[in-house]
Amino acid sequence: MNIIEVKNLRFSYTRQAVVFKDLSLQIQAGSFMAVAGPNGTGKSTLLNLLCGLLKARSGSIKIDGAKIESYSNKLARKVAVVRQEFVPVFGFSVMETVMMPRVHYLDALGFESQADRQIVSESLEATDTISLASRPLGQISSGERQRVFIARALAQDTPILLLDEPTSFLDLKHQVGIYDLLKKMQLEKSKTIVVVTHDINLATQYCDVVLLLGTRGDYYTGTAEEIFSEERIETVYGVKGCSSRLGKGNFFLPLGKFAKDSDLISR
Amino acid sequence: MSEILTKRSLLIRLAIGAAVLVCVMVVCSLIGTEEVSLKSVFFGPGRAAGLNPDYEIFARVRLPRIFLAAIVGAALACAGVVLQAILRNPLADPYILGISSGAGLGAIIAVLSGLSWNLWGRSPIGLFAFVGALGTVWLVWGIGRLAGKSQVTSLLLAGVVVNAFFSAVIMFLTSIAKGHQIYSIIFWLMGNLAEEDFFVFWIGATCLAAGIVVLFKISPKLNVLSFGEAEAKTMGVNTAMVKLVAFAAAAFITAVAVSLSGLIGFVGLIVPHAVRLVLGPDHRQLLPMSAILGSLFLVAADTLARTIVAPAQLPVGVITAIAGGPFFLILLVKYTRKVGWTG
Repeated sequence: MNIIEVKNLRFSYTRQAVVFKDLSLQIQAGSFMAVAGPNGTGKSTLLNLLCGLLKARSGSIKIDGAKIESYSNKLARKVAVVRQEFVPVFGFSVMETVMMPRVHYLDALGFESQADRQIVSESLEATDTISLASRPLGQISSGERQRVFIARALAQDTPILLLDEPTSFLDLKHQVGIYDLLKKMQLEKSKTIVVVTHDINLATQYCDVVLLLGTRGDYYTGTAEEIFSEERIETVYGVKGCSSRLGKGNFFLPLGKFAKDSDLISR
Repeated sequence: MSEILTKRSLLIRLAIGAAVLVCVMVVCSLIGTEEVSLKSVFFGPGRAAGLNPDYEIFARVRLPRIFLAAIVGAALACAGVVLQAILRNPLADPYILGISSGAGLGAIIAVLSGLSWNLWGRSPIGLFAFVGALGTVWLVWGIGRLAGKSQVTSLLLAGVVVNAFFSAVIMFLTSIAKGHQIYSIIFWLMGNLAEEDFFVFWIGATCLAAGIVVLFKISPKLNVLSFGEAEAKTMGVNTAMVKLVAFAAAAFITAVAVSLSGLIGFVGLIVPHAVRLVLGPDHRQLLPMSAILGSLFLVAADTLARTIVAPAQLPVGVITAIAGGPFFLILLVKYTRKVGWTG
């Protein structure tokens, strides 16, 4: 079953700068999709369209069988978003942050129920952030903060999770940690996960499907092996490199003119 | 799970706060230039022959003034909390969107025009100030909307510019005013609590209480809004609606407070910060506790204002600024490390 269906989507910020000319896309429930592409090809824009922050000029987006417009504020029960990390002005604690998406379920006086607390504490445990619960958001490392925002998205209790470059500022251990966590959510809770990323290799290792956005409104979907070929990466990103088979997945190393192994690309 | 505010802990803190407030109000009602004997106050307004002076001073002069200080303080503090939340700016105060200058302009026009009519026994200054305040907020809101998408920034800028413009007009009008007019203008601009009759007081108190209740109802959503509008929207908060309600209610209670008491500075800026620094940023607690602390602060400040240079009286705005500034700085230094300010 397709939980997200995008049909003939057209979107532009201004009349001149068209981001999507005609994008169609199906995402299966319980799958893990990576969205890749050069800067400015509309990866974050696509995320914002899928969570209802932006409206398509034409075409349609269906979430779980219903048009995205029909949800209004209830879309938050289907789609949770993790953006590039953002720290609010006032010093909310980790616990308070993760409790935020329960705002719909509060009682008349504005307080959480036991069920809300339960789901929040599960989310903190799943992301290994429960030991940070009382710390202010501004006083933890960016890797920890990223995990906290993922915990918050989990506490929103949605079937779909959208993430915008969740590993961009993280060290290797935390990068792998985040992808492991997301994979676990996919496998154990059968969540549908869409990750915007520049990391082709991690995407190959963890994702079922890849959407590669090109600079001229072109786009490609398929498995990582189909999409991330040397030729396609060169046409889309304008960068050469070499790829080779590891075990089950490929890996790709981008190479420039002055790289040590630049002779590999001067074919 | 002790990190999250519970209904019980909030109620306990509110009860303690309210008890302290009542104590302070009782103590302040006994302080004044005239000795008042509580014993004779209990005899009531006095029978047939002559008035009971103790009762007159206590019930008709001091109590109304103390209650007025309490509601105005609560309103200003709540408006400050809300504007800091929706503008996501710790420097915001109730006057940031031009309310002060708009109200000031209204008041000055009332003074200069020398209108002699009364409204329910009141001079028209309050009414003019109220209209000026709401008109300015409406103007700033309109400009902010016209300026487009990043509404928070354009609202702030529009507020600052309108404030500057109206302040210039106020300066101009002050410089052409006559001597006795200048005196009333300055007293008004510095914030001044005077004895109000009960009718005006009750109207004002009802409006302010209603506004504060509305703001408390949206306080969980203000929490979410602190994370930015995009974030709040994706968590399912109708941000346009919440912002409109918050702005309207905050502007309304500020305008009411200003028309009752003139421009009392600092309460709306420092009280929210003081509460936030000690109790954290959760608006469900921040809002009612700020209301209590705002009342407390203004009641105490006004008691000082009417006794410190007795028999003359100071504008209470002088006291709030002189007492509030250093106190706030101490609090800021002491607690910033604990809370981890990220601004």
